[in-house]
Amino acid sequence: MNFLFDSEEVPIQAGDTVASALYRSGRRIFSRSFKYHRPRGLLCCSGKCPNCLVNVDGSPSVRSCVTPALDGMRVRHQNAWPSLENDALSIGQHFDFLMPAGWYYKVFTKPATWHRVEPHIRKAAGLGELFENPQGIPEYEHAWMHAETAVIGGGPAGIQSALDAAERGEQVVLIDDQTELGGHLRYRKQRGADPRERIDALAARANVTLLQRASCFGIYEGNLLGVLLGHPHAGAAERLIHLRAQRIIVATGAYETPLLFDNNDVVGVMLSSAVQRLIHLHSIVPGRRAVIVAHGSEGDEVGADLKQAGVEVVEILAPSEIIAVRGSGEVKGVKSRRGDFACDLVIVCGPRVPDAGLLSQAGAKLQWSDVPGAFVPVGLPLNVSAVGDVTGETPVAAAQHFPDSKRAFVCICVDATSRDLKQGIADGFEEIETLKRYTTATMGPCQGRMCQLNAIQVCSRLTSRSMDETGTTTSRPPNPGVTLGALAGAKHHPIRRTPMHHAHAELGAVWLDMGEWKRPRYYQVAGAGGEAESVAAEYRAVRERAGLIDVGTLGKLIVRGKDAARLLDKVYTSRFSDLRQGRVRYAVMCDDTGVILDDGTVSRLADDRFFVTTTTGNLDFVHQWFDWWLVASGWDVSVTNVTGGLASVNLAGPKARDVLRKLTDLDLDPKAFPYMACREAQTFGVPAILMRIGFVGETGWEIHYPAEHGEEVWNAILVAGAEFGILPFGVEAQRLLRLEKRHVIVGVDTDALTNPFEADMAWVVKLDKEDFIGKAALARAASGGGVREKLVGFVMEGGVPEDGAPVVIGGIPVGRVTSSRYSPHRKAGIGLAFVPPELAAEGAPVRVRVRGQLRTAIVTMQPFYDAEGARLR
Amino acid sequence: MMQLFRQERMWNKRELKSSYDVVIVGAGAHGLAAAYYLGKSHGIKKVALLEKNWLGYGASGRNTAILRSNYRTPEGIPFYDASLKLYENLSSELDWNLMFSRRGHLTLAHNDSGVTGLRVRAENNQVMGVDSRMVARAEIRHLAPTLNVSASARFPIQAGLYHPPGGIIRHDAVVWAFARACDRMGIEIHTYTEVTGMHVEGGKVRAVTTSRGEIACGAVLNATAGWATTISNMAGVPLQIVTHPLQACVTEPLKPFLDPVIVSATLHVYLSQTDKGELVIGAEIDPYQSYCMKGTLPTLEQMATYTLELFPQLHGVKVLRQWAGICDMTPDFAPIMGASEEVSNFYMDVGWGTYGFKASPISGKTLAETIATGKPPKLIEPFSPSRFREGRLVGE
Repeated sequence: MNFLFDSEEVPIQAGDTVASALYRSGRRIFSRSFKYHRPRGLLCCSGKCPNCLVNVDGSPSVRSCVTPALDGMRVRHQNAWPSLENDALSIGQHFDFLMPAGWYYKVFTKPATWHRVEPHIRKAAGLGELFENPQGIPEYEHAWMHAETAVIGGGPAGIQSALDAAERGEQVVLIDDQTELGGHLRYRKQRGADPRERIDALAARANVTLLQRASCFGIYEGNLLGVLLGHPHAGAAERLIHLRAQRIIVATGAYETPLLFDNNDVVGVMLSSAVQRLIHLHSIVPGRRAVIVAHGSEGDEVGADLKQAGVEVVEILAPSEIIAVRGSGEVKGVKSRRGDFACDLVIVCGPRVPDAGLLSQAGAKLQWSDVPGAFVPVGLPLNVSAVGDVTGETPVAAAQHFPDSKRAFVCICVDATSRDLKQGIADGFEEIETLKRYTTATMGPCQGRMCQLNAIQVCSRLTSRSMDETGTTTSRPPNPGVTLGALAGAKHHPIRRTPMHHAHAELGAVWLDMGEWKRPRYYQVAGAGGEAESVAAEYRAVRERAGLIDVGTLGKLIVRGKDAARLLDKVYTSRFSDLRQGRVRYAVMCDDTGVILDDGTVSRLADDRFFVTTTTGNLDFVHQWFDWWLVASGWDVSVTNVTGGLASVNLAGPKARDVLRKLTDLDLDPKAFPYMACREAQTFGVPAILMRIGFVGETGWEIHYPAEHGEEVWNAILVAGAEFGILPFGVEAQRLLRLEKRHVIVGVDTDALTNPFEADMAWVVKLDKEDFIGKAALARAASGGGVREKLVGFVMEGGVPEDGAPVVIGGIPVGRVTSSRYSPHRKAGIGLAFVPPELAAEGAPVRVRVRGQLRTAIVTMQPFYDAEGARLR
Repeated sequence: MMQLFRQERMWNKRELKSSYDVVIVGAGAHGLAAAYYLGKSHGIKKVALLEKNWLGYGASGRNTAILRSNYRTPEGIPFYDASLKLYENLSSELDWNLMFSRRGHLTLAHNDSGVTGLRVRAENNQVMGVDSRMVARAEIRHLAPTLNVSASARFPIQAGLYHPPGGIIRHDAVVWAFARACDRMGIEIHTYTEVTGMHVEGGKVRAVTTSRGEIACGAVLNATAGWATTISNMAGVPLQIVTHPLQACVTEPLKPFLDPVIVSATLHVYLSQTDKGELVIGAEIDPYQSYCMKGTLPTLEQMATYTLELFPQLHGVKVLRQWAGICDMTPDFAPIMGASEEVSNFYMDVGWGTYGFKASPISGKTLAETIATGKPPKLIEPFSPSRFREGRLVGE
């Protein structure tokens, strides 16, 4: 078993992480720092610091110290060129005096040269790179769980809490980010009894679910935990679990952070917990000669571990005694007030910071407490509690020493030193939140874990304020970071198809996306030309013979109940209480400012039963809108969405009646079934709702029938129409046909502010109704107030503007074309446009921009085709 | 180069006085810009900026730092264009590098109505002299080679609106630089000073009550964006504004990956890459009203989904932070600027919705003129508070 690191084969032992395998193979430099490209080696070995970031199988900035090493992995170094050992950009550190905190704000302004400098800085910045993974994009999963008690952290405190809750009979989920439970007891053998027995007891309980190698990255509103599980199974890279818990117990413990001294970032300077992990979890001898930096007796524990592993402990120094680490790439020795020592390891026993970020997200305050020497969580919200080291119960402070040094790195993510912070404070950035934004300390890949405490302490000291007055920066999720892939989950973008989808495909449909729906834009007939020819043929079929279009994407609602008409009167601008059974009426819906929200038709099938259609995109909204207005009304109305249950077609054209007659016994005579009437009748042996309406301007029926008969009836109509020369037509022909009738499409010919008076549909607004939504605003609009522009028709000889072309007066765009096409009927460009109200007059000339040139169009308020509507009747 | 070694505080702490000519509520980019132009152009320097938190706590530090002027309406286009032109010279004028980076701004349409929407903007921009044009897929591929322009995407990109002068800027730096310039003129910035009430008498604000005492004032400017309604209520001025959260997130730094700012109106996502290498990703406003500034998981997931729709290769890139700001939304998506109708010396700089940061310098400049001369300049007349009563909605 091995993996490839750049071009080098690295052998893997059982239990190895990428970092432990690399370290064992002799590698010490793992990455380069962000700003100065200084060598970086293992520091924390626990996934908390930014030093071991590598590219794994194409994904950037992966923490090698917590990533299991797998056979055949492709691992690459990042942010170093040409190699990790010799990085050309590390030259920058010798010019650090030119790059103090915020240096880039202070230069390039006089003369203004930023635009020339920026591309170079940009090229040098950044960290990770993307490489194509030969296995392709991996799968990411989403899952949902519930728990009575969720325990975050599988150390001794978390194990005990989970056991206690389990014994009370609660459903428990324990989340731990390590490969095995036990927390620090796994590698700090002298700290407590082996937890093995308690772990086994936990694992044996049926009411306990263990999520291991899983990190909780956020506590959201309502005790929603975001949990990320790595490699849930061979087929998936990550699983994001949405865990809703009644109670949350945070047992995230404390993590060790660095001490400040000169060259505290040199490779070979490691946290004591890191070497303990290497020794006890990976059986690695971390070095030969170690100097320990610790306060009091804090170094004894790691000293014993090192000796046992065969590492010579040269000296134990207090933080105030160490002056600097020697060595530019790797540690060569230590300079101290007690003399110089040669060594290859400097082991730092740093302050242990309660990992309280999740508690802070949940609403707890972090309050400084001198006794543990830490910010501890107080004021925990209901149903969230904390146990163990995260509460600050164990004294975890190593007294910090604050050298004014340009090589004592506070933030190792961005190479910000204590001197940088001092500079920032001198520049006036005294608040920790502004200091953070100015120096970018705490904003790097470690999300402030390694540097927040040190930064706050430096800030507090230099501004002579208490730690509490200085405060902390805000903890924001996701922490630790979560991949975009895990957040997005599996790529399931639904495609909605109408029941006749496959029939369209066979007929040569060229598809159009309409929200989630697929609709035929036009039908490509074998041997015919392109879109223009197809649309022209479909247009002619409807105008001269018969055409059939699938309108199944229309929203369809059944509104039923004694007060159904009352609801429709309330939400639509027209009146429906006086609509007779068997009749259809056009319906426009506005909001309370009079803006058009949707349009459709309302058919009265029975006294207490209405069939309502909505536009394709607004169905869900309209349904919710009905329910919204019903909630407190006490009315007897039920609203049912029947969109998916019905197939819908529109059969239109001068021969439509002849076609339909072959399929139904219904009397189709105009007297028996007039324009704007509706009937329920068998059509080709299938129960159907038939409506005589005419969106495209010809005699026609909109037919709604059960979806399971979708193709059957569709095909039957085409067969019945064959002798008349029927053609199926798509959305593009429909757009042209309806435009010749000057019929408006809401959302295309109206925008987010259009009211019915602006859309030239005053007739749909019944201001004499008792009340309806938008009445007040529409009453004002009716008297001319709030009519900013008016939708008019126009004819343009010798040109067709594009949809969206502006209407221009005096160099100002005063209106716009909403839809425009070449009209075969008028043999000219026609369209709809918004113009200032004063231009909304028959015959008024307007100037429209057509491909950069202004051309004249003539306003008309009449339909372009069959103005009297004779063909509809 | 010597500028590198200058040691000077950006701004100073000062005593809170008992009276000012102008009190500006909110020391974000808007309030600071107004103060700056009051001092610089009109010699009005007895001005106090009151900020309840740290400098730039609100929307100024929470936006996605995108600048552009490719708006849609004849009112919006010249206004935001004037703002962009001020921004272009602001680094020199304030002697502080705001890192304005004209990376170009590319808006994508994935369906027919989206294409028409972009064409309206392109055409209106061209008529009004703003550099903006429609681009086809081939050119989009050239401008953003990492973008998924494949026709087999679930929502294939149909066309784009390209706006070369658009770009990104260091948003915090704008706040700091204005603050420094104000401080140099003797204009006072009072952080951690919360306005708690207003004393209104005879149709005028006479004094502002704060957490640090009462201040008499000649005029008050409400520049509090998401909190606009709460401040306005104190003066008894009703606003046609509702407040919604708007969320954003940032990823770990990557080597240069993306040049232009990418916006997809259909997919409700926009992103850009900072000079540090992070991708900054923004969402549309949350669908509910709230003053809460906590991020939510569903919105983060939506941002990720849409981002991967545009850039599938980013699947392994980690998000490091998510946050929310709050937006003051008006019924017509346009801001409200000018003296209130009810209280004559209570001025509004509100209703910015999601466009506020882009307008900072020009709103400051025009409102300073309004306060100093008592008359709003022509550029902002259409945005007057009276338009809702008069039914003159602007739109955007």
